[in-house]
Amino acid sequence: MPQTTGRGDATRAVVFSPLDGAGRAELVEQRLTDAIVAGVLRDGERLPSESELARSLGVAVVTAREALESLRDKGLVLTRRGRDGGSFVTHDRDATTRMIDERVRAQSRIELRDLSLHYAAIAGMAAEVAADRASDDDVQSLVEIDERADLTTPGGARRAVGRFQLEIAAVSQSPRLVHEELRLQAETGSLLWLCLREQDYRDRSRQARLDVIEAIRSVEPERARRVTTDHIASAVEWLIEEKVRLEASEPPEAPGPAGSPEASVAERTEGGAA
Amino acid sequence: MTVTVDVTAQLIAQRIASTIDPVFAMIDGWRDAVERAIATEPEPRAASLDPLIAALVAPELERPGSLITGAGFVASPGFLPDAPWHLAWWLSGANTFRAAPDAGLRRLATVNDPDSEQFRDYTTLEWWRVPERTGTRHLTGPYVDYLCTDDYTVTITTPVMAAGELAGMVGTDLYVARLERVLLPVIRESGHPCSLVNASGRIVTSTDPHRATGALLRLDGLVDALTPLRDAVTATDAAALPGGATLVPCGDTSLALVLEA
Repeated sequence: MPQTTGRGDATRAVVFSPLDGAGRAELVEQRLTDAIVAGVLRDGERLPSESELARSLGVAVVTAREALESLRDKGLVLTRRGRDGGSFVTHDRDATTRMIDERVRAQSRIELRDLSLHYAAIAGMAAEVAADRASDDDVQSLVEIDERADLTTPGGARRAVGRFQLEIAAVSQSPRLVHEELRLQAETGSLLWLCLREQDYRDRSRQARLDVIEAIRSVEPERARRVTTDHIASAVEWLIEEKVRLEASEPPEAPGPAGSPEASVAERTEGGAA
Repeated sequence: MTVTVDVTAQLIAQRIASTIDPVFAMIDGWRDAVERAIATEPEPRAASLDPLIAALVAPELERPGSLITGAGFVASPGFLPDAPWHLAWWLSGANTFRAAPDAGLRRLATVNDPDSEQFRDYTTLEWWRVPERTGTRHLTGPYVDYLCTDDYTVTITTPVMAAGELAGMVGTDLYVARLERVLLPVIRESGHPCSLVNASGRIVTSTDPHRATGALLRLDGLVDALTPLRDAVTATDAAALPGGATLVPCGDTSLALVLEA
């Protein structure tokens, strides 16, 4: 059945879908870490049991257990014993911000640009095809998604971008583009759209959305693609500038205490994990 | 307006209707059974209705060669006192959605708490909205269903009534790829470049290799000619389009054949 409003549920489904290749604890750990950092899995939420997790991801129970142990060590998951026990997401804003900053630092410029290129290939093509295939109803649902967007917080703005891009992929009528969009959102959403911490970029992302809707309404596939890929390119430019700032504020040889970054960084990251 | 259409085209349109008619008849049967069950219970509850729905849809979902990949009942909000928001929906073993490697028939997991981040108000969706408004069966799609079948899908829903009130919808999902396998050989027999479109002009399948499933067929006058199909009026008259193509409705499926010169 069609569900145009349930992006959250769909991105969650990707989180618990079978892993490609050999089942590895690191892959499980990475996928769950991304989902927690991106807010797909919420604070206090109970994770599936070890055996459920193993089944849905297609890995051995021992592998799932190992991954959960690593998440516990990182402080992302808490395990309680007893009748109401289980593993629960602990979504600490500072810890999440630190983790995202670490990821930005750990990824090379080449990796970050490659990531945005991959995403632009998927999202740009989806926008191009959507402009040719959108019915009036489709345009209307895009308008409604834009109107519901909460641009007052980074989390709200990022969810709006995710929801909109997913709907664009659905309007392109391609199951593969939809799958890839969801997969990339779960994997990279928190990183790529870090610029939405700033109000200026939240306003710009709204403008990009309105431009894409206009291009689709007037059946201009090339314009829809260009606006989409330009939007993604500006997000990665911000990300690389942020990487420069992070590297300047904290030399990698002598990492300071994680809780005391420079004031400018602390300000910028305020609410970044919402 | 009366249009002369060759007999072959009319026959093909009928055969397409008769391919889909059994699915319609099946859903109508489910509707009747659910309406009977509701009528005999003073206060119908999800707990007693769910096993009935499962018993109705399971045999068809498990039948080898079945066209359908998901089916069930979706309740009007507040109709069932023990489940304000309720989807009793089953997926076949062929449905790959969130499926473990050896998954068989299984129930779709849903979030029914309106306060949850993952909750979806299904009454805003086309497969609910349109039959609620028209009071009759509706074919939604083709569309990418990323929350239930994970694939390119057509959904058919029909209202279930209880004492004049809408109790919910019964419905089913079909993969477009399976539908195409069945329908394409039929439309090939026309001998013309021929496309099967939904009421929005979206291509379900076409004999023309340049006409992609999912694309909108952009022909002058097509959108206007399809208006009766969108309004759930059973239209059987063929219509001539300005560019020389002919539109032939396929019974009451809301699908139509477009034959190009």
